[in-house]
Amino acid sequence: MMINTVITAGIGAIFGAVGRYFLTNYGKKHFGTKFPYATLFINLTGALLLGLVFGLRLSSFVYALIGTGVLGGYTTFSTMNVELLTLWNNKKYLSFCCYFLSSYLGGLILVFIGLGLGKAL
Amino acid sequence: MSDKLKNYLSVGFFAFFGGMLRCYFNLIWSSNGTLLVNILGCFLLAGLTNFFIEFREGREWLATGLSTGFVGAFTTFSSFQLDTLKQLQTNASNSALIYFFTSIILGFLFAYVGMIVGKSLGKKLAGEA
Repeated sequence: MMINTVITAGIGAIFGAVGRYFLTNYGKKHFGTKFPYATLFINLTGALLLGLVFGLRLSSFVYALIGTGVLGGYTTFSTMNVELLTLWNNKKYLSFCCYFLSSYLGGLILVFIGLGLGKAL
Repeated sequence: MSDKLKNYLSVGFFAFFGGMLRCYFNLIWSSNGTLLVNILGCFLLAGLTNFFIEFREGREWLATGLSTGFVGAFTTFSSFQLDTLKQLQTNASNSALIYFFTSIILGFLFAYVGMIVGKSLGKKLAGEA
């Protein structure tokens, strides 16, 4: 049932987003706002975990809850792009490049590692 | 209720809808659905953020819920990366590269356009208020 999957993912997203909001506040408080460490940490750990969860071949219900829901809601593409835009507008080109490369390439490497781990377990 | 608690509740409440909507698009259009929500979300988040900078509405929980909660949960980084990897591993490296770079380029461009739209809308409404 499509509607059940959608609601399950929505419930998971509540927890993912609240966790992301907590970590973002924590990051701003302890690491400052010059570089978006929190979102980088969130997206990289989320990529690793999603690879892992997908590799474990769980039931579609559990995947909708944890994968699509929690981890999908935990990671964010929009915040990262707004942060990239802010760095660009503030002419922080070095930070922009670091953030860009570590997110996109780091994410790809971590999702690969996660998937391998999940399949091996 | 403390402002902090209000913000957390608002993020969770709006994330429920953002996550459901993303899941729906993913179910009907697969990885293209994820591409669509990510690009649209970049426009929306940049728009909302800049709108609320110009148009100080006063209710922090509303701005936080809509941006961090709704749009944040609507878009996803992890599925985008997993979809790219899946396409790479099924020897569809061309479509993987197209998917990867379309997301990256359009995401940034739509965030840029969203910023301009949000800023001017916010200024306009703040001027009228």
